Amino acid sequence: MIRVLCLAAALVLVLATPAAAHNVTAGADLRIAQTIAGAEVTVVIKGTTRVPGPLRIGVVAYQPVSGLRFGLEVRSVEDGHTVTGTAEATANPQYTQLQVERTGPHELKLSAGNETAVIPFRVLVERGSAGELLIYGGLFVAAILLVGGLLTGATARPGRTMALVAGAAAGVTVAAMVIAFESQVPAPPPAGAAPTPTTSAAAGRPYAQARMETVPARPDAGETFTLRVDLVDGNTGRPVDDLTAHHEALAHLVVTSEDGRYFRHVHPLRTAPGRLEVRLSADRPGRYLAHTEFEREDSGGQLVAADFTVGETATASDKASDMASEKASDKAETTGSTGVSAQAGTTVAPRLQPAVPVAGRPTMIELDTPAGVRTWLGMTGHLLIRSQDGAFFGHVHEMGAPGSRARFTFSFPAPGRYLAWIQYATADRIVTVPFTVNVTASEAQWPHRRPSDHIGDPVTTSETQ
Amino acid sequence: MKRWHAVAAAALVAAAVALYVVNRSAAAEPINLTTTGTRYAATVRIADPVPGRVTVEVTVSKGNADTVALSAVMAEMGHSTPEISATRREPGRFVAVGELFPMSGVWELSIRLDGPAGEEQLAVKTLIAK
Repeated sequence: MIRVLCLAAALVLVLATPAAAHNVTAGADLRIAQTIAGAEVTVVIKGTTRVPGPLRIGVVAYQPVSGLRFGLEVRSVEDGHTVTGTAEATANPQYTQLQVERTGPHELKLSAGNETAVIPFRVLVERGSAGELLIYGGLFVAAILLVGGLLTGATARPGRTMALVAGAAAGVTVAAMVIAFESQVPAPPPAGAAPTPTTSAAAGRPYAQARMETVPARPDAGETFTLRVDLVDGNTGRPVDDLTAHHEALAHLVVTSEDGRYFRHVHPLRTAPGRLEVRLSADRPGRYLAHTEFEREDSGGQLVAADFTVGETATASDKASDMASEKASDKAETTGSTGVSAQAGTTVAPRLQPAVPVAGRPTMIELDTPAGVRTWLGMTGHLLIRSQDGAFFGHVHEMGAPGSRARFTFSFPAPGRYLAWIQYATADRIVTVPFTVNVTASEAQWPHRRPSDHIGDPVTTSETQ
Repeated sequence: MKRWHAVAAAALVAAAVALYVVNRSAAAEPINLTTTGTRYAATVRIADPVPGRVTVEVTVSKGNADTVALSAVMAEMGHSTPEISATRREPGRFVAVGELFPMSGVWELSIRLDGPAGEEQLAVKTLIAK
């Protein structure tokens, strides 16, 4: 019994599960949302069961795009072996098959228009466990020796018989022990997995700080600019380049104007280690807030915030009218500009329960949705909440309500006015429904205050509204 | 009865062998990792990857690197170590000696290479165990 316990303890200590970040294994696709060439897409990398073997890559479009082709380049970080291909973004993509030669760290370079993202990932291939080897090996030895033992016994040679039976007993012992304890033993790391600590003392990595800037430093209204987020490790000062796929994106960047009339939920591209960039344009001058959600490996989610200013130029009003005409156009941009490009949708207001939300208590927010809502960013609905002053930011997920509705529950932390946006994806577009919520203090009674005021018509976007 | 002792002894030996088979993967093995960037490709060899003073050999197989410097980060704990310059022993072969890994765990070893092609920083991840 002591032997058995020792083996079990040793197996538990020795074998550790690999980190799950950015790993591509058979049956576990890697999905990364990207805002690129003015389009909102999700890149899907399907795993392979062997190397050399096929790696299938597709680009899922969440808006009407036609002829938007992506350049794909998969490079092994170990030996530099590179394969290239192209993929077209569609709602149900055809997967492009590329050949990978080895497991381990790789990079996918995704290009469209004049934008390029580099997505790091690891190709993993499962391998047979040591347990299986011992089970089948032990049973094989036992079977051979038992047959031999019986034959030897039949010839009346007890000494040899016992030797063979002892060997059989050894085989059966090993097999039985491993069978009994295999369920408690973690599988060995697949080929190509990142090294993992044998004893993990730390829980979560250091916080990251963000340095945000726009390029140019002060963009004009209507002008396309790059919003750049440089993530820096708070303990080492090094770039944070260990982001894991957090709700199907390296980062979720929500840009809102101070008054909440401008709203973009985009997924910036990793252009260098620790650097995320996305192209935007804002139709009105003023102060804009940027909230970025992300998650480091082996850590929880983090939020960083910053603001920037869009200036007014002499031609700002002309540009704004240009943008307004783009709104009606509903055509996919392929120029790299993430213009407004939106169109009016049906007017639906979310229902709140209680109708007057109370700070600190759960509020249910429900919205009727059309049939055929599809999963986007791993969920059927997203609710983004910002306090009026921008100091508070929340991201709530749909709870899987039955029927054609999206349901969210959220406890507003303090009384006041909140700006909120519900987002969901239909067959060919992403719908954003903006509204406001006035939250009362638990003791206060404000019977005449309206709990929900619409701040604009809901919009369906062909982009990332 | 002695014969049954032999059977028990054989089972014991088998269990010990099973332990050995499972345990051998945990032994600290020499590190031999290759990473390829756009300008350089480097292979890192550490004969005895344990916490404390280590000798790291870097072989540059792509690009003509003039200088190689090493530093390490343990992302899990937020530790980083100063940069150690590697000495060029022969073209494409550099050796650095120093305390790169103060404690056991998973470390990312950064290799900063510089040469006519420009500067590039490569990295490999490795487990350092006592």
